[in-house]
Amino acid sequence: MRKSLLTLLLVLLAITNMAFAQERVVTGTVTQKSDGASIPGATISVKGTRTATVTNQNGKFSIKVSSPNAVLVVSFVGMVKTEITVGNQYTVDVAMVSEVTSLDEVIVVAYGTSKKSEFTGAAVSVGSKKLTLSPITNITKALDGIAPGVQVTSASGQPGSGPDIRIRGFGSVQYSGAPLIVVDNVPFSGTLANINPDDIESVTILKDAASTALYGNQAANGVVVVTTKKGNKDRSQIQVKIAQGLSTRAVQEYERVSRDNYYPLMWESYRNSMVNDPKIPLPANIAAQIASGVYPLTAGVQSYNGKTYNSIKQNLGMNPYNVADNAIVGIDGKLNPAAKFLYPNDLGWEKGLSRIGKRGDYGVSFSGGGPKSDYFVSMGYVNEKGFVIKSDYERVTGRININANPISWFKTGLNLSGTVTTSNVANDATSTGYANPFFFSRNIGPIYPIYRHNTNGDFLWDGNGNQQYDLGGARPVNPGRNIIAETEFNDNLFKRNAWTGKTYGEITITKDLKFTTNVSAEIGNYDASTLDNKIVGDGAPGGRASKTTTLSTTININQLINYNKAFGKHSIEAMAGHESYIYNYLYGFRTGQIADGNTELINFTTTSSLNSYTDNYRKEGYFGQVTYNYENRFYAKASFRHDGSSKFAAPVRWGNFGAVSAGWRLDQEPFIKSIKEIDGLKLRASYGTVGSDNELDYYAYQALYALGFNNAVEPGILQSSLGNLDIQWETNTNFDLGVDFALFKRVTGTFDYYNRQSKNLLFQVNLPLSSGVLIQNRNVGTMANSGFEFEANTQIIKKTDFKWNIDLNLSTVKNAFKKLPFVEQVNGTKKYMVGHSIYDYWLRESMGVDPADGSAIYRAANFIVASSKVIGKDTVTTDPNNARYHYAGSAIPDLYGSVSSNFSYKNFDLSIAFSFQLGGEIYDNNYAALMSPGTYGSALSIDMLNRWQKPGDITNVPRLDAGRVAQFGATSDRWLTSGTYFNFKTINLGYNLPLNVVKRLQMQNVRLYLSGDNLWLKSSRTGLNPTQAFTGVTSNAYVPARVVTVGINVTL
Amino acid sequence: MKRIYYKIAISFTVLIMLGACKKDYLNTYPTNGVAQASAFTTTSNALMALNGIHRSLYTQYSNQDEGGQSTIAIDLDCLGEDYVFTGLGSSWFKATSQWTSHRNVNSSLVYYVYRFYYKIIANANMIINNIDGATGTDDKKNIKGQALAYRAWAHFNLVQLFAKRYSAAGKPNTQMGVPIMLTNVTTGIGRSSVEDVYTQINADLDASIGLLGSVAKRSNRSQISVNVAQGIKARVALTQQDWANASKYAILARSGYVNETAPVLMTAADYQKGFNDYKNSEWMWGSHVQADQTQYFYSFFAYISENYGSSDIKGNPKAINSLLYNTISATDVRNKLWDPTATLYTPPASGSRMPYMNIKFLVPDITLSCGDFPLMRASEMYLIEAEAKAQSGDNAGAATALYTMAVVRDPSYVKSVKTGQALIDEILLQRRVELWGEGFRFLDLKRLNVALNRNGANHISTYAVIYDVAPGDVKWQFLIPQTEINANPAIAGQQNPLQ
Repeated sequence: MRKSLLTLLLVLLAITNMAFAQERVVTGTVTQKSDGASIPGATISVKGTRTATVTNQNGKFSIKVSSPNAVLVVSFVGMVKTEITVGNQYTVDVAMVSEVTSLDEVIVVAYGTSKKSEFTGAAVSVGSKKLTLSPITNITKALDGIAPGVQVTSASGQPGSGPDIRIRGFGSVQYSGAPLIVVDNVPFSGTLANINPDDIESVTILKDAASTALYGNQAANGVVVVTTKKGNKDRSQIQVKIAQGLSTRAVQEYERVSRDNYYPLMWESYRNSMVNDPKIPLPANIAAQIASGVYPLTAGVQSYNGKTYNSIKQNLGMNPYNVADNAIVGIDGKLNPAAKFLYPNDLGWEKGLSRIGKRGDYGVSFSGGGPKSDYFVSMGYVNEKGFVIKSDYERVTGRININANPISWFKTGLNLSGTVTTSNVANDATSTGYANPFFFSRNIGPIYPIYRHNTNGDFLWDGNGNQQYDLGGARPVNPGRNIIAETEFNDNLFKRNAWTGKTYGEITITKDLKFTTNVSAEIGNYDASTLDNKIVGDGAPGGRASKTTTLSTTININQLINYNKAFGKHSIEAMAGHESYIYNYLYGFRTGQIADGNTELINFTTTSSLNSYTDNYRKEGYFGQVTYNYENRFYAKASFRHDGSSKFAAPVRWGNFGAVSAGWRLDQEPFIKSIKEIDGLKLRASYGTVGSDNELDYYAYQALYALGFNNAVEPGILQSSLGNLDIQWETNTNFDLGVDFALFKRVTGTFDYYNRQSKNLLFQVNLPLSSGVLIQNRNVGTMANSGFEFEANTQIIKKTDFKWNIDLNLSTVKNAFKKLPFVEQVNGTKKYMVGHSIYDYWLRESMGVDPADGSAIYRAANFIVASSKVIGKDTVTTDPNNARYHYAGSAIPDLYGSVSSNFSYKNFDLSIAFSFQLGGEIYDNNYAALMSPGTYGSALSIDMLNRWQKPGDITNVPRLDAGRVAQFGATSDRWLTSGTYFNFKTINLGYNLPLNVVKRLQMQNVRLYLSGDNLWLKSSRTGLNPTQAFTGVTSNAYVPARVVTVGINVTL
Repeated sequence: MKRIYYKIAISFTVLIMLGACKKDYLNTYPTNGVAQASAFTTTSNALMALNGIHRSLYTQYSNQDEGGQSTIAIDLDCLGEDYVFTGLGSSWFKATSQWTSHRNVNSSLVYYVYRFYYKIIANANMIINNIDGATGTDDKKNIKGQALAYRAWAHFNLVQLFAKRYSAAGKPNTQMGVPIMLTNVTTGIGRSSVEDVYTQINADLDASIGLLGSVAKRSNRSQISVNVAQGIKARVALTQQDWANASKYAILARSGYVNETAPVLMTAADYQKGFNDYKNSEWMWGSHVQADQTQYFYSFFAYISENYGSSDIKGNPKAINSLLYNTISATDVRNKLWDPTATLYTPPASGSRMPYMNIKFLVPDITLSCGDFPLMRASEMYLIEAEAKAQSGDNAGAATALYTMAVVRDPSYVKSVKTGQALIDEILLQRRVELWGEGFRFLDLKRLNVALNRNGANHISTYAVIYDVAPGDVKWQFLIPQTEINANPAIAGQQNPLQ
């Protein structure tokens, strides 16, 4: 592969390199226009050639040119690129202008680029340097805190995974609300994990309707536009990158009680459950004896009043101490002082599942070009081993981007990329699944060993001298399971190949009229394979394996006619496009493994499941846009799009959407021009609509019977959906008002207000169960998202050899239903109701603990004699079924944002970034599980030490009572905790080798760096990951990783 | 200037070649489904829709304890006193056995049971209301007759669970029943009286028996034959304390065979084969679960069998009530179906042995959870006949019906000479032993209006929790799921009493 790339490169170089005579040497100095200071390290290249140099410590350079027509291109980070024609000069001095004081940044927008000063929508563009500040495998990880209005969950620690993204709130109720991804002008249906972050030139977030309207369908939730790199016509270079990192868990584990506290606490829980039994309460002394196991036996069992009672040892299944089963905990509830724990070193479930993760990231790219073409070719390789065993990710990426302009009126290009991924995935798909390593290790009581022991506590060895896994037959939790053995023996892996080919042709018909066509094909193979071993777990005793193969093919064709008339800078653009998507699925599952070590289905005896299907999804759209510019002072733009989708019935299939926007450059007006402090000021406003058929079933309007319900060998079908011929596009109406400013030659920023209304919400409306079908898709309801966004970039110090910037961004989101098809609908911990947000909690109101008996109490809905009482002025109940529900806060934060800062001093640079959130509530399910008042065998939170123990105790932790797990642990606002957090996200310390050294090595640049990712998190509880999900509800998922990396980037 | 025209021409050519979409470009159809409209154009399609209902009895629903009719059978035994948890294993069915799930409007149990039977009713309605217009050679009477039997069976199960029991003495039974769905509407309808629900059930069964009477031999025992419909009718009559019809239809169901061999009570050897084969000589109706339609951990056998290696079985082998077991004679083959000493049978690897654990249910292949599930057996028909006759005062007839069955189980069984309540008690005791684990106990307790009593047996207080429930307690009624109440305005205010 590498060889063929080199061959290709040489061919390209041969095309682009031309020899010239008449060489001469030009010298000069590069300075900063504002203070006259010289700029060392600026790059000077001769346009259209490979010739390039950099300025020395004093900003001086010398370069050979071969013709008076030669053009020198001077570039330096943070400065506007400057071009100078050499002419007859031998000395060329260049004064560069700082980029930050202008609004002239060029950003990528829908189907093209725009100067920021002329742009009338709300969009943020981020360049490659900022995106790759910390070494990442998946570009979505870089979007956390990158721009206001962009909300991101914390990425799972699973290597290669990326977080979820929401732009400007939550656009959909039951569907994902994820933004559209566009890569190089084409909507992208694959995962961004398939794109090498080093290949990315910029990412632009399009937020308002004016920016997204041209993408019409799918763009309702914003657009992430990814643009890959292309070669510079004036510079050819080779870049090599090597980075090595180590990873560990970034969020510490919840604190749980120790092994010697566990038995007495569970004894107490069991004793209390007997004493407080609502039907047959036992006297305390009898209950204590029964719990300890010292109550006299009748026919071998502890029998009291005709009922059989276990001892605590029988309930917990194992006796890990060197004392008799009925002598572990005394009737005083204390651990027997003589009891010695038999295997104290064999309790490290979490440790047994963990390791120091490793990450290697290697890349090489070649880029450059000539007068009629440019190229960018790259290869990357990432090998990441997660900090949990059997979780890793290996990816090879390759990309070729070529643009050519062979005839003056014709331009074309080819964009090919391929990605081959192999990954082992930690099994965290089901939060409370036995095979979930996070669930298992977090919740197993601290007395259960990983390996088998004899009664002395010594390890039991098998015939080969290995320790034997304890399969937990005696355990009440996860019986018959051992997560370490299962993780080790099972496979849960996928291979994914993704190929993208894209080409375009652009014909310039007249100076003003252009015709472009883009054709792209995206092909993804996904091949998942699981093995459940035959020794322990779901696959035992036969062993079982599954294979899932999917093939998705996306073809996208669009044609654009672009008319750009010079008079008064009016321009008209019209475009049209098609997209289609085909998905093939094959699944096979067999059981009964024949030979060990072979996971192919042929090695299994019995087919348990086998099926396949193909899905077709098609879209078509026509769109047009007109932009108007008056003297670079007023800008206006109108766009229109006509969209059709195969998800809707023919009569209502097509929707019309559009947007209008306007901008006013106040800084061009005399009354502002006279104010020295203001360098730039623009007002803009936009309003528009976009449609969405997002994630609706492919055949949403059709009433269907499902195949796959054969009755043994007799073919069978079953009613699966009612269909709805009336469902149509969900509409997002977007209003945006913004100000862009540049002040004091140091500060640039943006302030936006947005109001987004999702109307005709595509809603899965619950039908009466008695209708036989659970749901029907309907367009009902309106949801609004509104908020403010603020972004400021400040250059505090901008000396040539010492620079210091601070970037700040802040956002708010207010979400509320405006119209719903029902008065209210409870959905898990939330309730949907007009005036409330999609993530407002609807929970029982916990009133703490009754000091009299330690019961968990809730505010009562009704006074019921058996379970209610009045404490002070409050009527409380111990019965969760009689508890009153209330709105108990929201998962949506009051404010979120990020701060980042860059320092550079001489050859050193340092970047740090923090992200934070204020307000919002987290429903901590994981904590609630650890606070269960007595699930036998389950781990207990350290907070259990504060439990109620005797009448009069004032505490917020109810008494331990195994008989009241459901009542005391019921879903309530007791499990809410503040979502406020502060995360030290990244640090990157870099050192650029001095120019003289680099030059001696005949290189352009060498940079060494040390970076850290997810270094420190402060949240309201140890163990809590506050940004795990937008819903605010925690689950047992792969904890985010902390990665420390050293790397070197070399530019030749 | 000419060059412009060339360029325009090239552009248009490209535009037309790549851009011309056919009018039907946006019409796409699934490959894993068929349009509802075409499901009833032909009788062969309608037969597929019927087979889909048969399959729905053993397919997976939302949660792991939702594997079709067989998991409802587990729930109904968990609510009784004869099915004993010996450990926790996993917590599946724990809340059911503690009598909390069916009394919680938000529980997955009430949601599942309600949705399961109404899904069958909706699919049956599609057939009943559309089959007459279908063309084809398949027997429409067979298809429609079976659909009617399913609609009756599903309404019957619903009304027994969600309403107060039917009382023959309390006619007309005006207490609230369940919505009677005869056409599929999405707007929801309210609850009819229990009397009206039973009237509809009987009307559907009579129509079904009429149609199925002329049907040629059924393809296999997963299909409903006229005799199965009669068996359902016998159950309904028994529940309505209509002793004459219960006895009449029970006899017809086991003996009135025209096109196939009548069922024969199984031998002692067959009884110990694990209850997993619908070809067993006395099974009248059952789901046949083949390996590639397996239900994994949703399967009945993943919870109740002795030998499948699920966590639930390893940690919580299911046992019989020790008091009940001790009534079984040593010469009875059923004596061997449970192990009072926890020594006789080998559990799956790392599984527990517990006293009184069962081997009535076994998977044929320990690597697979699948096995056939019995929906109706001939011995139940003998028991219905015996009970109905005893209740109506025909002691001799009752004793004979019971003897016919019991002597096959226990060669030493002596025909009962008891009369009246004593005879009824003996029949009911035989019924508890014979139908253990097959999902009858809760419905029998409710039908007979007797108390739940778990005292004095091998129940462990930690798992059993509830030992006594008096007859007539509100807890005998399942609560209507909140989802139904939220989406069905007609049922608002018709919830069963909460306290």
